[in-house]
Amino acid sequence: MNGIARRTLLRAAFGSAFGAPFCIAHAARAAADERRILVVLELSGGNDGLNTVVPYGDDNYQRLRPNLAIKPNRVRKLDDRHGFNPGMAGFERLYKDGKLAIVHGCGYQQPSFSHFASMAYWHTAAPNSGEETGWVARLADALRPDAAPNFIVNIDRSQSLAVKGRRHVPVVFDDPDKFARKSFFEQRELIDGVERATQNDSANRAFLRDISNSARDASLLVREACAKYATPVDYGIVPVDLRKVAALIDAKLPARLYYVAYRNNAFDTHVHQADLHQRLLTYVSDAVFGFVRDIERIGRADDVVLMAFSEFGRRVPENTSLGTDHGTAGPMFIAGKPVKGGQYGQPVSLAERTPDDNLIHTTDFRRTYATAIERWLGADSRAVLNDRFEAFDFV
Amino acid sequence: MRRLLATLLLLVVSAGSAQAAPEWSGDLRPIAASDWNRARAAHLLERAGFGGTPEEIDATLALGVEGAVARLVRPQGIDNGHLPAFEHSRVHDPGLDPFPASRPATTEQAKAEGKALGVLVKPEGNRRLQPVVNRFFYWLRASLLETNRVAYWWANRMLATKRPLEEKMALFWHGHFATHEDKVRDYRKMLGQLQLLQQKGLGDFRELMIGVAKDPAMLAFLDAGVNVKGAPNENFAREIMEMFTMGVGNYSEHDIREAARAFTGWNYAGTRFAFDAAKHDAGEKTVFGKKGNFDGVQVIDLILAQPVTAEYLAGRIYRYFVQDEITPELRKRLGAVLRDKRYRIAPLLETIFRSRDFYSAESVATRIKSPVELVIGTYRKLGLKHVPGVPDFNDVTTALGQHLLHPPTVAGWAYGRSWITPGLLIERGNFIRDVLFPDFLAEANDRYPSLVAGEQVRAVHERIARGLDVTAATTPEGKEGDGAMAMSNRMADRDEEFNTRYGSYRGWQQAVEAIKPIPRTMANPDLSAIVSKSGSRTTRQAVEVLAARFLSVSIGDEQRAAWTDFLTRELGTDRIERARTYMEDGLRMLLHLMLASTDYQLG
Repeated sequence: MNGIARRTLLRAAFGSAFGAPFCIAHAARAAADERRILVVLELSGGNDGLNTVVPYGDDNYQRLRPNLAIKPNRVRKLDDRHGFNPGMAGFERLYKDGKLAIVHGCGYQQPSFSHFASMAYWHTAAPNSGEETGWVARLADALRPDAAPNFIVNIDRSQSLAVKGRRHVPVVFDDPDKFARKSFFEQRELIDGVERATQNDSANRAFLRDISNSARDASLLVREACAKYATPVDYGIVPVDLRKVAALIDAKLPARLYYVAYRNNAFDTHVHQADLHQRLLTYVSDAVFGFVRDIERIGRADDVVLMAFSEFGRRVPENTSLGTDHGTAGPMFIAGKPVKGGQYGQPVSLAERTPDDNLIHTTDFRRTYATAIERWLGADSRAVLNDRFEAFDFV
Repeated sequence: MRRLLATLLLLVVSAGSAQAAPEWSGDLRPIAASDWNRARAAHLLERAGFGGTPEEIDATLALGVEGAVARLVRPQGIDNGHLPAFEHSRVHDPGLDPFPASRPATTEQAKAEGKALGVLVKPEGNRRLQPVVNRFFYWLRASLLETNRVAYWWANRMLATKRPLEEKMALFWHGHFATHEDKVRDYRKMLGQLQLLQQKGLGDFRELMIGVAKDPAMLAFLDAGVNVKGAPNENFAREIMEMFTMGVGNYSEHDIREAARAFTGWNYAGTRFAFDAAKHDAGEKTVFGKKGNFDGVQVIDLILAQPVTAEYLAGRIYRYFVQDEITPELRKRLGAVLRDKRYRIAPLLETIFRSRDFYSAESVATRIKSPVELVIGTYRKLGLKHVPGVPDFNDVTTALGQHLLHPPTVAGWAYGRSWITPGLLIERGNFIRDVLFPDFLAEANDRYPSLVAGEQVRAVHERIARGLDVTAATTPEGKEGDGAMAMSNRMADRDEEFNTRYGSYRGWQQAVEAIKPIPRTMANPDLSAIVSKSGSRTTRQAVEVLAARFLSVSIGDEQRAAWTDFLTRELGTDRIERARTYMEDGLRMLLHLMLASTDYQLG
């Protein structure tokens, strides 16, 4: 335990030492970019990428998925090879408007088929390692080493590993209406008091005090922002918390990193997946389309980019239950006005598969992260990802 | 370094008699009879159960450590006859079995066969499939509401049982063998699984694992029905190895595929296990390098023979009861204990609960309570006999992140620090307030849906009552004009054979009609009596009494002074006797402050 902590500290120290010239070189640009915001959307459960961005022109696709393949006349065609799932009207609109980038074949070496292991790899951006911090938190450390409060917002019941870090305490809440202490007037001073550490605090006691102070700092801001926010934009049936994100952005919360999720392993479609999967994609696509439009409406279109991912795709052949099993690579999506729409990365091959019928990934997912880190937020992606990854130019 | 610091701290705070010698951490040897004291008895009840009242702590202390632990881990002789059996609302009928996979599957079946879910399609007229669709939603809602009643029934057992470790262990296994009602869609199966965990949770793990593998809720949850000869589905075998027995990284993908074949043909019929020999693959399999015509039970035995299995289980049990983390070395030693005891859980727990490690400074009052522990523990320490209906137990535990019978994923709950976020910490404090100053105007969730669907159901209800036609009543309001309406909102009612939204509404209504209500009683605790009985004469003594009763952490002087000043201000005097006729409100406000503090989150 101590050994790991020391190693990480050393690495952090070296990271910042090497990062220093970079920071100076980019200081001017970073200062100008301080309005820029990244929203990460997680699709939990392993989204079936092949039925999302459909390779409808590939014979192997129709052959390996006799029941589940989406027929060419039903897909929302992007070009003569690929098209969106019929449920994704919103993504199609964004794509045609040049506001949506698709990165093909995102995955990593030695893929895990466990939801939890694979999701942890995406959260930490460190596959097959024991990394304990999330990449979003490390990005926050790089952008704001002074750990200014309310810099990361994670809307969920529990905190994501992606935002777990060493310096920043993320603002984590679910229902903004309930993000307030109930109390009598007479209790206010004591219940809202700053929690001061004492000498014999256990690690968990110190942790609780940090969280308590973060709760006190953020709750009023968040509550008021969400309560005040009214929008005519339709986010669909499941807004995946993106309306709350828009409210906080509109209220000028200092947060520059937002993390939301389509929760509860929803995309784990082992059985009878066709209707269910299409419906899930409709919800996501409606929500993202609504979000992009809403952000334009509030005049922040130039400042906000959203990135969506899932922990793995599904196996290429359908299973015998009209569903698909855990697989490997899948597409990532980046949406927003600043995005240069189009397709990036090499599309996966359905002909050349692993011995267990899985896709061979063509893009290390950290290239997409690196692009967002470097080209969008102006931070040193090497310091955040502990390795060098070639960026795309979608932003 | 850490040890040195702990030693220094020990010197500073050595006044506290509960302080253990620092070298106890990691030491599995039992504590001596002379080490047993009241603070340790309280710690044992906190961890092995849901906390104790002062009277219960005294009784536990009197048993001595050996007797107290034995009573917890082998409670079979203790009479629990005062606990009522679950009282069914009788919402199920045979037509609902087997329940189709989805609404589309239901309506397809109705179109093809003229009947589904025991309901005939109307021969003529508008929306001929509507009764079938209503029935589909009826059962979704009825099962959900009845599952909440099962959770409430379980909560009452946790509160009132004389065998607390049985329920605490069932709660552990429920997270371990995480099964979610949303997917199972049958409260009867959820109840059956829970009873299995309650009955076998302290027994032999092999028996428990086989029971769970043959449990209809688990088989439904992991899609066992589609795991058949020639087309094995790996989900079931993967979860057994990854989540239930070995942990990720200790088996190969090949082991999973081969094991999946051994479980082919395992299925359920209604609420019973059913084996279909015709769908079972009896051929030779290779699992962990061993060859044989294995069936599912034999695969479980192969898994139990792997050294890592006992270590994985012992590590998870330790982390649930003792500390958030375990060293690999201690995990190995506890694994060896479990293996030596042939996978019997009680002797492992006996070793843990008697060990010096369990009473070490690193273990005592350092663990973040889970939401269910927080809620039940609060009610126990308040001396309640029933779980209140206001605040609603399921609403509270949902808001705090531990809705029973609805674990978030197949990995169950993560425990430890994952229970706490800024939002959740605030919710924990608000729960305390809702107990002490209940929201007596609240609408009960089992009478009026306030889930995601709630708003829509209410709107439809009101418009239908105004005489609107079904289409008009079910079109969402308040969205911007045509072109920009989200696809999901535009598409909902296209099929004219039936209306999904109306079905959802009518299903709710029928379910609420059929379900027995949860009694909406309130806690109404008597803090004045607690303080009076303790003989407290000053507000400072009252603060001491309440802190000792509720908090595991010892509070600092500054905190004590702030709370005492608060109570003195509220009562208008520092003399309890003077305030006896009106002190309840002030005491409740004080207790709210105490239990909303970060210190109360630790047990």
